Amino acid sequence: MKKTIIYSLLFTIATAFTTHSGGIYKTNTGNINFYSHTPVEDITADNHKVKTAFSAENGKIQFSCLIKDFEFKKALMQEHFNENYMESTTYPKATFDGTISSISTIDLGKDGTYTSPVVGKLTIKDVTKDVTTLGTFTVKNGLVNAKATFNLNPYDYNVSIPKMVAPKISDSIKISIDIDYTHQH
Amino acid sequence: MRKITILSISFIVLGILLFVYRMFNKPHTDVLNTKANVEMTAIELFTYFDTNEDSATIKYSDQIIVVSGVLHSKDLSNELEPQILIKTNEDDGFIRCGFKPEYLNNINSLKESSTIKVKGICKGLNGDDDLELLSDKDVVLSSSILIE
Repeated sequence: MKKTIIYSLLFTIATAFTTHSGGIYKTNTGNINFYSHTPVEDITADNHKVKTAFSAENGKIQFSCLIKDFEFKKALMQEHFNENYMESTTYPKATFDGTISSISTIDLGKDGTYTSPVVGKLTIKDVTKDVTTLGTFTVKNGLVNAKATFNLNPYDYNVSIPKMVAPKISDSIKISIDIDYTHQH
Repeated sequence: MRKITILSISFIVLGILLFVYRMFNKPHTDVLNTKANVEMTAIELFTYFDTNEDSATIKYSDQIIVVSGVLHSKDLSNELEPQILIKTNEDDGFIRCGFKPEYLNNINSLKESSTIKVKGICKGLNGDDDLELLSDKDVVLSSSILIE
């Protein structure tokens, strides 16, 4: 009985001093934008339902987003993107599996802005390539905003672009990520 | 005779230009005024995707679907696309419906655990068994509107 009381007290104390600095941070409403600039045309699209999470313990970070959920200003552009270039019925998702390299330097229990390299593998159309970028993590009131940008070449991911429209699509597409993570457990 | 030929060619060229212009500027699917391709419960839709994702993606993605079910929660964390979750028979599986920001008031008026009906464009199943942090799954609807 005495032991149980001691264990309960220890557990209560430990719980009381636990901050939101551990565990998993997650969201299903992250933003990814891509932007292609050429002298002929600028093309941009947004996805606001990106599923992503990271582990505060080991820095593992993962993303999954539906290709069909990228919204373009012009419906025809969206149609061509999905049907001709991305073949999004056959390859419906893009995923990223990586690590926040300096997770130990980010104090998730203290408001502030931190940076860390993020390295991992990006898979699009069943092609997996290494990606490295610098992530900016802003901690405020227990929430974590993460921002990062990197460029990718669509031809590296077997995106076939007809010669006729190739001048309209950049071979260095800018990917911008803006995510608000909340603590899960 | 020459005048008629020139006039005819002009009309044809004008017609082609008009067609190209309209194609290039065609609007996005108007979910509100387009008849749904299929109507089913949230449990049925989720089960189709969960059982055979490839076949469900071919059959239902890009289709306008009316889904009925019990509201699990509202996810208003992204003001660019307020979202709701409809329950399925899986604890970590939902139908995630995204709305245009102008529908925020309609979403706010919804009561949790109420039975609702949503019409939207199916985008597929998000979540991945190979990614251990993202093993929960959502069948995603976009450009959604509330029917009931």
